[in-house]
Amino acid sequence: MSGYLEGIIILICINSIAAMGVSLLTGFTGIFTLGHAGYMAIGAYTAAILTVRHHVPWLVAVLAAGTLAMVIAYLIGVPTLKLMGDYFAIASIGLGETIRLILENWQSFTRGARGFPGIANYTTLPVAAAFFLGMLILMRFLINGNYGRAFKACRDDFVAASLLGFKTAHYRVLSLAISGFYCGIAGGLMAGFLTYLQPIMFDMQKSTELTAVVVFGGLGSLSGSIIGTAVLGIVTEVFRPISQYRMLIYGAIMVIIMVARPEGIMGQHEIGPKLLRSLFSRKTVNEVDGTHG
Amino acid sequence: METLLQQVINGLSLGSVYALIAVGYSLVYSILLFSNFAHGGFLVIGGYICYYTLAAVGNNIWIASLLALLGAGVSAVLVERVAYKPIRERTNVTLYLLIASMGMSIVIENIFVVTVGGRFRALPPVIPTNPVNVFGLATTSAFDILSLMMAIFFLSGLQLFLSKTKWGLAIRAASYDLRTAGLMGVNVNQLISIVFFVAGLLAAVGGIFLSVRYTLYPQLGLITIKAFVAAVIGGLGSLPGAVVGSLILGLAEMLTAGFISSQMRDIVVFGMLVLTLLWRPTGLFGKHVAEKV
Repeated sequence: MSGYLEGIIILICINSIAAMGVSLLTGFTGIFTLGHAGYMAIGAYTAAILTVRHHVPWLVAVLAAGTLAMVIAYLIGVPTLKLMGDYFAIASIGLGETIRLILENWQSFTRGARGFPGIANYTTLPVAAAFFLGMLILMRFLINGNYGRAFKACRDDFVAASLLGFKTAHYRVLSLAISGFYCGIAGGLMAGFLTYLQPIMFDMQKSTELTAVVVFGGLGSLSGSIIGTAVLGIVTEVFRPISQYRMLIYGAIMVIIMVARPEGIMGQHEIGPKLLRSLFSRKTVNEVDGTHG
Repeated sequence: METLLQQVINGLSLGSVYALIAVGYSLVYSILLFSNFAHGGFLVIGGYICYYTLAAVGNNIWIASLLALLGAGVSAVLVERVAYKPIRERTNVTLYLLIASMGMSIVIENIFVVTVGGRFRALPPVIPTNPVNVFGLATTSAFDILSLMMAIFFLSGLQLFLSKTKWGLAIRAASYDLRTAGLMGVNVNQLISIVFFVAGLLAAVGGIFLSVRYTLYPQLGLITIKAFVAAVIGGLGSLPGAVVGSLILGLAEMLTAGFISSQMRDIVVFGMLVLTLLWRPTGLFGKHVAEKV
C-alpha cells in the first residue's frame, strides 16, 4: 500500500474516533457542541509533551491524553451543561477557543504558535486501525446498554426523562466526559501521526468539521458518523488538486445536504441486519430533535 | 487617567460596531430561533462592495456605503431564500438551519478567497482617522467618535422601525410566536425576508467600520463570533441585551488590551462569556423559557 493511501486511512481512523465522541454527545444525548477540537488539542499536546519531554511510552501517553481530556471535559461540563440549546453551543465555541488560545500563549510549555516538533511517529496504520476498532466496539456497548438508553432519553424528552427518575444532569456531564475522552485519544493519535503540532490545527474550523460529519452521517447513527468522516476525508483528498475551490465545495456540500437530506446519510439507522429489515418494511422514521435536548 | 478615558472611548466605539452586528444576529434569532453563522458573511460582502465601489466611483463614501448596505441586505435575503427557506418549510428542527448557516458562511468566505484572493486590503482614506481632543481630557481618533455616532444613528433607526411601523409591529409579534403571527395574517415569508434585509444592512455598516479598523480580508467575518458572544451575554433574541452585551465586550477588550496585554483580550472575552452564563444561564436580558411538560 502506498504511503499516501495509508496516510488517508490513518487520518480517517483518527477523525472517526473523534467523530464517535461528538456523535455520542450530539447525536445520542442531543447536546450541540462547536468546541470539541479543544479536547483534541488537549489530547494532542498531552501525548506530545509526555513522549518528547518525559520519555513516556506512547501507548501510556495516548491513554493519558484521553484521560486528561476526559477530566477537563468533566470539570467544564459540571457548571456549563446547565445551559440549554444555543447557549451551550456558543459557550462551547468560547471554551474551545479558550483552550486553543491558552495553548498558543503558554509559550514556555507548548512553544506557542511556533509549533511543537519532533514527536515520534508512533501512529502507524495497525495502531490507528486497532484504536479505531477498539473504540468503536466500546462505543457500541455503551450506546446499546443502560447508559445509552439514558442518554437517548435525555435527548428525546428531557423533562420526561427526569420525571422517570433519570439524573439528566449527571448523564449529560457523563456524555460530555466520554466524548472528551474519545477526542483526547484522537488528539493523542494525531500527534503521533503528524509528528508536529500547532494550536491553529485545532481551531473552530476543526470543531465545526467534527460536528458537521456527525450531522452528515445522521444524528443518532454511529455508523453514519463514521461514513460521514470517511466521505468528507475522501472528498477533501479528491479535490486537493483544485485546493483553491476545496473549501468552497465543502461549504456548498454542507448546505446542499441540509437542504436535500437534513436527516443525514444514515438517518437514525445503523448498518446491520436491522437496516435491511427496515428498508423492506418501509417504516417511517421519526426525525431527531438535536438542538433543544 | 488619560489612558483610561482613551481606552473607554475606544472600547465604546468597538462595542458599538459589535452592537450593529449583534443586533442583526439577535433579530434573526428572535424570529427563527437559530444562530445564523452566515451573519459574518454579510459583513464581508458589505465591506467588499464598499471597497470596489470606492475604486470605481472615485472615493465617494456615500454612494459606496449605500450600495454596500443594499448589496449586503439583498444577499442576506438571497441566502435565506436559497439555504434556509427550504429547510424551515420542511422541518422545525433548528439544528439543520444552524449547520446550513455554517456551510453558507464557509461558502461566502471562500467565494471571496477564490475571486478576489485572500490578501488584506485597506480602504482608501475616506473616513477621517485624525486625532481628536475630547474636552481636553483625552485624545482619540475621529474614526472612533464617528463609528460610535453612526452606530447610535442606525440603532435608533432600527428602534423607530420596530416601534413605529406596521412591519415593526409584525416583527415584534413574530418574535413572540412566529406561527401565531402567521395565523393572524402576517405574510411570514415576506417578514423573514425583511428581517434578513435589515440584519444584512446593519452587518454591512459594521463591516465598513471593521474594514477601516482592521483592513479587509475574506476571514474578517470570523470577528462576528465576538458579536455572537455579546448577543449571548446580553441574552439571545433580546435587542437591548445585544447592545449592552456588545458595549461590555468592547470595553472589556480595549481595557484588557490597554492595561494587561493585547494577547489576553480574546481569552478575557471568552472567559467573560462563560462566567456570565454561569451566573445567569440565559444572559443578562434573556427570557427564561420554561420547559413545557
